[in-house]
Amino acid sequence: MLNQLKMKPMTRHLRVALAGNANVGKSVIFNQLTGLNQVVGNWPGKTVERAEGTLHFRGYTIRVIDLPGTYSLSAFSIEEIVSREYIAVEKPDVIINVVDASALERNLYLTLQLLELEAPVVMALNQVDFAAKKGIRINVEKLSKMLGIPVVPTVAITGSGINELLMTVVAVANGEIKLNPLKVRFGAEVEEKVQKIQKLVEERIPQMCAVYPARWIAIKILEWDEDIVSKLKNYEDGAKVLAYAKEKASELEKMHGEPSPVILASERYSIASKIAKEVTTLETPPRVGWEQKLDTITTHKILGYPILIGVILAMFSLIFIGGSFLSSFLESLLGNTLSQIEVVLAFLPHEAVKIVADGVFGGIMAGITIALPYIVPFYIILALLEDSGYLPRAAFLMDNLMHRVGLHGKAFIPLVLGYGCSVPACIGCRIMETERERLIATFVVTLVPCAARTVVILGLVGKYVGLHAALALYIFDLALVFILGRIAFKALPGEPVGLIMEMPPYKKPSLKIVLTKTWSRTKDFVYIAFPIIVAGSLAITALDVTGFIGYVTTGAKPLISGWLGLPEAAGVPLIFGVLRKELALILFSELIPLETLSTVQMIVFAIVTMFYIPCVATIAALLRELGWKKTMAITVVDVCVALLVGGMAYRLLSLIMA
Amino acid sequence: MFRRKVHGDDSWNDEELCALTELAEGEKGVIVKAIGGFGLVRRLAEMGLTPGTEVKLVKKGSFGGPVEVEVRGVALALGRGVASKVLVKPVKDETHD
Ligand SMILES: Nc1nc2c(ncn2[C@@H]2O[C@H](COP(=O)(O)OP(=O)(O)O)[C@@H](O)[C@H]2O)c(=O)[nH]1
Ligand SMILES: [Mg+2]
Repeated sequence: MLNQLKMKPMTRHLRVALAGNANVGKSVIFNQLTGLNQVVGNWPGKTVERAEGTLHFRGYTIRVIDLPGTYSLSAFSIEEIVSREYIAVEKPDVIINVVDASALERNLYLTLQLLELEAPVVMALNQVDFAAKKGIRINVEKLSKMLGIPVVPTVAITGSGINELLMTVVAVANGEIKLNPLKVRFGAEVEEKVQKIQKLVEERIPQMCAVYPARWIAIKILEWDEDIVSKLKNYEDGAKVLAYAKEKASELEKMHGEPSPVILASERYSIASKIAKEVTTLETPPRVGWEQKLDTITTHKILGYPILIGVILAMFSLIFIGGSFLSSFLESLLGNTLSQIEVVLAFLPHEAVKIVADGVFGGIMAGITIALPYIVPFYIILALLEDSGYLPRAAFLMDNLMHRVGLHGKAFIPLVLGYGCSVPACIGCRIMETERERLIATFVVTLVPCAARTVVILGLVGKYVGLHAALALYIFDLALVFILGRIAFKALPGEPVGLIMEMPPYKKPSLKIVLTKTWSRTKDFVYIAFPIIVAGSLAITALDVTGFIGYVTTGAKPLISGWLGLPEAAGVPLIFGVLRKELALILFSELIPLETLSTVQMIVFAIVTMFYIPCVATIAALLRELGWKKTMAITVVDVCVALLVGGMAYRLLSLIMA
Repeated sequence: MFRRKVHGDDSWNDEELCALTELAEGEKGVIVKAIGGFGLVRRLAEMGLTPGTEVKLVKKGSFGGPVEVEVRGVALALGRGVASKVLVKPVKDETHD
């Protein structure tokens, strides 16, 4: 009511958040609600995708946020912390809890936690069509009554129920529908402890209770939630409350023989299970559909692997054949622009023309003709793989092998992509759950030889030394990837996470969703990466034009000639190679006839190009995904590896060949 | 079938327990306990693998790969290392699958 008094009737604003498990259809509902009116980005400082959009409905301007998919609201993953902080701190007007009707019990686990957070929840009971196919029918009224919140059945892919959902959201926001949410109560022993801690929390840290519900804080500290525990330490009496909670937790643990979070999870699941049983009727026994048959063969002990290889080859051809076609097409389309710009700018001094044309426009051109043609097909394929449900199957097959690198199955996808182009590969690393895993995967991916580095290896070593030497370099690279991956795995702090992954049923991907996802992600990439590519290109051109590059190469001489045993002129191509790696070879050949290099020099040059500093586009992607600190760290490590391995190779090979 | 008997503390060492990975494909078991780090045990519980819950081992990956289980109507893939830390009591199955 207050809302209406304060604002003009036609511009009432609402903030709505979508929360739910992964793969329930949140993104589809989000797209149904907002259409193309959406921005995809990252949560501030986090590698978690944030999609936000607006819609207009009956005089309301509704801002919708698609929260990351989570199974719980504990502090396990970044996604969970992002979601619950948004719900608790930003306090959106309504939370739409999207629920998969075909897996009600597991989904209710999150619903109960939303109710613990005392959030205003409306449930979208989605995928009722799919549930019906499995013979699952849910009594909507009964579910709504038991939870004390509105429940709207929906089929997101057809848009059925979306209008009712919106009407319900608005009615809840303006108070026409009163919520009477289920008060989540645990068994007597747990409940007693929760209430005692809650009382203490209310007395001792009232400031924190202004943000989070007191009962919720109590539950979280009883579960020893790292995030809340560390927040509590900021308060004067926090330590006292924590000590008390710890005592209560260990009493519970003694009684049950389980850690307190397991006890609470069990309690929530028993409530969820009771509600699910009460409202579900199982009808005809499900028939084996094409989804199950596809699942059986694609995860088959033997057949699964040739299928996986086939999928990877298809993915490669699509990304890299399609990409190089697009790339040369765009190049021929825009090829003349650069010389035309130089003509247009002819009235300016020569140096200025060069800086503007080569630096600024050269950078933009590189972005358009090198990065985008590979990234767009990649985004399309990623969306297809995500939407169909194949990604978890590939992870299932490759889990064991990836453990050797200190990662688990999911990292396989970005690693393979890395052989094509590091940029999509780095972005693909976001499918890893924890910061730790993401960092290891991204680091490893920057070391995988991409297509541009393959050009250098084949064009130099393969051509002049022989294919066997090129192949040996590849094998050497693979070995190094494994070794460095293991080192990173050992060196980085944090508990390694084994594979715990849902295997959602196969679905027919929807073209509309694939295209919308591709469009939003491409837009986001252009905004972030282009400025960096242009800045890098500008800086190097300026160094060149002003003659500073001469100083740089003289300065680098001890390293290039002394340590690596390369001709002094190799410095310039290596610097320009940062823009794009195949450029290093092209420039090198312009400076020195490649035949005149010794075998050792060729191999060392290829090794250095393989490992030293990621190219600008990759650095842009790294910044986008990891922030500048980790990007710097990866870059520095890569440079060190290149110098170390290059220098050692020079000495060892010289010995052997002599 | 031979199973490694798991001995440990008080209440459950007399029962016939085995690791989840030791179930045959298609066999069911009731979770007794998860051993392992705090983070892992908690994560398993949150994904629905709480003590007393029935799980079905659907599939074992080749080359020591993960196992697929069905729990609370959902299919989950668990790495071999993760699954070997879940102790279950096999259910003597009288039905067809
Ligand atoms: N049959 C059916 N499939 C759906 C429905 N809603 C979403 N899907 C499919 O479920 C999968 C996951 O959807 P998505 O929105 O990406 O899930 P999210 O992870 O929650 O964002 C996709 O393949 C969708 O096409 C629905 O109501 N019925
Ligand atoms: Mg989504």
